Amino acid sequence: MSGTRNKKTTAAFILAAVLPVVILVLSLNIGAYRIPPKAVFTTIVGAVFPGGAASGPSPYADILFRIRLPRLLLALFAGAALAVSGASLQALFKNPLVFEFSLGISYGAAFGAALSLVFLGRKVPAQAAAFVFAIIAVLAVLVIAGKSASQVVTILLSGVIVSALFQALLSLVEFFANPYALQSLIFWLMGSLSQADWKDLGMTLPIIGVGVTVLILLRWRLNVLSLGEDEARALGVNVKREKIVVIVLAALTTAAATAVTGVISWVGLIVPHLVRMAVGADNRKVIPLSAAYGACLLLVADDIARSAASFEIPIGILTSVVGIPFFIVLLKKSGKIWL
Amino acid sequence: MIPAKSILPFVLPALAAMITPAAVGQSRSPVTIVDSLGREIVVPGRVERIISLEPEVTRIIVALGEGKRLVGIDFFLRHHDRLFPFVFPPSKRLPVVSNQGQDLNYEEAIPLRPDIIFSSPSEFRMTEAIEKKMRLPVAALASMGKFRDLVTEIETLGRILGREDRAAELTTYFKEHMEAIRRAAAATGVDTGPTVYLSFWGSLLRTPVSYEPVEAAGGKNLASRLLPSYLGTAGATVSIEQVLLWDPEVILVQGNYPPAERQMTVESILRDPRLASVRAVRTGRVHYTFGFWYWWDPALVLVETAYLARLFNPGRFPDFDLVREGDEIFKEFYGTEGLFSALCRVLECHEWNPE
Repeated sequence: MSGTRNKKTTAAFILAAVLPVVILVLSLNIGAYRIPPKAVFTTIVGAVFPGGAASGPSPYADILFRIRLPRLLLALFAGAALAVSGASLQALFKNPLVFEFSLGISYGAAFGAALSLVFLGRKVPAQAAAFVFAIIAVLAVLVIAGKSASQVVTILLSGVIVSALFQALLSLVEFFANPYALQSLIFWLMGSLSQADWKDLGMTLPIIGVGVTVLILLRWRLNVLSLGEDEARALGVNVKREKIVVIVLAALTTAAATAVTGVISWVGLIVPHLVRMAVGADNRKVIPLSAAYGACLLLVADDIARSAASFEIPIGILTSVVGIPFFIVLLKKSGKIWL
Repeated sequence: MIPAKSILPFVLPALAAMITPAAVGQSRSPVTIVDSLGREIVVPGRVERIISLEPEVTRIIVALGEGKRLVGIDFFLRHHDRLFPFVFPPSKRLPVVSNQGQDLNYEEAIPLRPDIIFSSPSEFRMTEAIEKKMRLPVAALASMGKFRDLVTEIETLGRILGREDRAAELTTYFKEHMEAIRRAAAATGVDTGPTVYLSFWGSLLRTPVSYEPVEAAGGKNLASRLLPSYLGTAGATVSIEQVLLWDPEVILVQGNYPPAERQMTVESILRDPRLASVRAVRTGRVHYTFGFWYWWDPALVLVETAYLARLFNPGRFPDFDLVREGDEIFKEFYGTEGLFSALCRVLECHEWNPE
């Protein structure tokens, strides 16, 4: 039994190292503008080795480097961010149903974007406002939880309250919105990577990079924290501090991703569960594998969003419509929730 | 014996009610119409009190000269429409009887004692719900972005209001004017018209799959190619790659907002490095246009088509002046001078005159 799981774990890690790169390379070949695979290769080689003879025609380079690559990198990093954030919070709270929605991050970001799109015009970019309010939402959760911030139930309850508050505020903004601003907002709320550019990546990747890396480094401590508070304290861990560190990091990574992609649900819930089904609940494996498979999931979802029809399907809708039934089938088949 | 003084307050209004319909020529037989949902509706011969939840219908009622019959209007016209306050200043005093999303506020509506309510065809469940609760005719009318249906809508409203003559005037003017634009725009041959991409609803990537002013002005809406596969009615979302692939000669940005409220601007498209290779960007042919505004204003869509025809074929309309042309068309519809100029001051469309 243990041998089988070890084999599964090894296979999962090998796949995690290879799959995101393979999907990224394949995804570079997918898009409305047809670029022959050979031209994709020569254009990339031409860009990497500018002096070489091989280089693709200019429209190919523009499409690959200005449109596809930033979009794919955003999908890769946002997928990793959402999945790692979800996995860390689930481990921390020992609750399989916790994800970014639970701490008010998504509704905080949505409210920030709404304020910007509806009332502030172009003065404050929606991305910046979404990020600021996602952080405000998490800080509000921590403040409301107060001295009981180490208590799982208190934090989750505070998250529910803050989420509900921002959801209500979002509805209020929607109610007063100019119908055209409302259209922009609804479009943003459905989630999309279609507008990704290098500027977005420049703002987002450093935060996601730091957040995901530190959470992966903390995977040992998450194992200790998930033993229970008394056990963790007995092992010399400052439970309150560690919890706040994990929550803040998860919030930062999710907020950075949500600010540029809009609300993309379920990645943070589904991916960690799938990983646990494959390799068990050990966070030393779950956290890094969630990063890789979260990246893969969002890359594939975006490929479908871009190529299933001549128009784009919002990726947030796809992750929900495809992800939830898939998740239900897996749960039914396995008959339990992994944690 | 009842003293005459005590019955006068009851008798006089009754007499007035008997006299008034004849005086305004409203004593007519009920009219049967077919609304935009294909439903047959019997409208009473006397329609004096109207609630309209559909901005396009409200504008046409005013153009028919019957704005005085409006007793309630919708949320959009009061709070967000930049044109309607100029076209029909009394609208500022009319009660708003709908919320965002055009649902009827029944407690506001019932005391207004409407004879008919106009609703939006895109809200068909709401139309039926209003009919059941209010127990009066509810007609769902709108052009849904089609010129032919806009003309039918004007004719239908003319019949309902007993203003067939004025409706005929307006539809004749509309059709003749539109035909003149079409002929002038197509004089060089329809096939030579520019390919056009429309950036609408505050987004670079949201575009209407059908926008008749573009075709009437001699252009080709590239997103109309999505029609066989796209099931939606108005707008599709495309990718930037798709825009590059289409390589439009002209990009039009919806400009129905005051400049400060625009999420998408001509400048942002011209500066976007991802679009640098697109013909429209390279040649600077990125412009504002008006676009849908809860469907159309019948005068504004005519002005827009003329404006686009000039934009697509500058050589064919050397003397075109957007503001002058706009004021003339608006006067024809609403009978007041300077309406389009007033709108232009809000939208700053004086700056739009191209080339």
